[in-house]
Amino acid sequence: MTKKIFITLIISFIFSSGPSLAQIRNISEQQSYDDEFAVYESEFSTNTQKEIYDPFEKINRKIFAFNESLDRNVVEPVARFYRDYTPKPIRKSLHNFVTNLALPISAANSFVQGKVENGLATSSNFLINTTIGIGGLFDVAGDKNIQYETEDFGQTLGYYGVSNGPYLVIPILGPSTSRDFGGYVVDRGVDPMGFNLLQIGGSENSVNLTLRATNTLLFNLDLREGLLDPIADARKDSFDLYATFRSVYIQQRDLKIKK
Amino acid sequence: MKKFLTLIILSFFINSAMAQTGNPADNVVKFIDQLGKKIISIAAEKSPDEVRKQKIIAEIDRVIDSDWIAHFVLGKNYKDATDLQRTRFMDLYRQFMINTYGPKFKNYNGKRFNVLSVDQQSGFYVAKCEFVPKDSDVAINVQFRVKERNGKLVVLDFVTEGISLIETQRSEFNSAISEKGIEKFIEDLAVRVKELKAKK
Repeated sequence: MTKKIFITLIISFIFSSGPSLAQIRNISEQQSYDDEFAVYESEFSTNTQKEIYDPFEKINRKIFAFNESLDRNVVEPVARFYRDYTPKPIRKSLHNFVTNLALPISAANSFVQGKVENGLATSSNFLINTTIGIGGLFDVAGDKNIQYETEDFGQTLGYYGVSNGPYLVIPILGPSTSRDFGGYVVDRGVDPMGFNLLQIGGSENSVNLTLRATNTLLFNLDLREGLLDPIADARKDSFDLYATFRSVYIQQRDLKIKK
Repeated sequence: MKKFLTLIILSFFINSAMAQTGNPADNVVKFIDQLGKKIISIAAEKSPDEVRKQKIIAEIDRVIDSDWIAHFVLGKNYKDATDLQRTRFMDLYRQFMINTYGPKFKNYNGKRFNVLSVDQQSGFYVAKCEFVPKDSDVAINVQFRVKERNGKLVVLDFVTEGISLIETQRSEFNSAISEKGIEKFIEDLAVRVKELKAKK
């Protein structure tokens, strides 16, 4: 009798104070998902993606809002007009031309990183397209399947272990990090199509200022035209556009550095 | 006659069991190849937009593990959410995914879709593929991250040119939730789903 009461008490205790079967199922499902997420993140997530360092988020968001307004009112309409009213072969030639002019800096960064094969492929692209490709208007090297990866000084710093640093939104230029913005300044500083501080070609102005400014404008026009659809999609789908841009930027940069 | 019928049924089961238990990577290649080609073939159909959209929605719904993805994208907020919020979010998220990407993929008319390789990484499969749109010669690199769950292959993530869909969504959702709270976020998600469903 006492034994029966004792068993009844234990059973009622289990059912009243312990978790229900459904709760147990939920807990074990949660545990199994948590375990899978941990494995998934260690395999696929970038280190910075797990916790993006954004100490200036407040000011970044303000600059982002300014950039967005500038883009929606000026840059995007110009890029759309360019897409709608410029024949595709001309847009392709312009893309080839501005891409080609950026290759010497990219090749230099490849060599600094010790990626000799990629540096040679990038240099070959530049030489072939500048000569046979008539100043880079035609991508002859690409047609011959000479493949290369673009490199910049931000990637070079990343390659040598410099972390992203704080995430930044730069007025007009958009998403960056302290490392990448530093890299951008260096690239632009030494590029003869930028500020040419190393005086390649004899003086800082070895390339006419108007040509340099035109190249910068065309490069960015081509870039923005190429991003018309993805940015329009992001604006339509995102619940927090600032966070979407930040995540995409960090993922892309990490991938480029790993390559 | 009965024996003959039993033999046919048995051989059918043995065949399907063998197909399921073949080389797992080969099964993933087959699974993703069929999925990619099915989406392209639906996108190429001459049927009205709405028909194509519904077919793609059904296809996406069939292959994704929306519970796992919903749980992943909610990130650290999952633990703080109430049971009711979790259930509502899971349901709304599934509808959000299929109704956001169904209409997009219905235009993915392509020249070519190929599975280039499948690698296994700690229980997950990564199918690297290339997709060439009909109006372009430039291949787009896409990756499907796949897992076998209860004997069935399911898609967990879709990565385009290195950008993971679920990582981006997790970052975006967590940021939105920390700005306005999970309840308001779920309300916004419900409104979005309603709008997506109403869109023709």
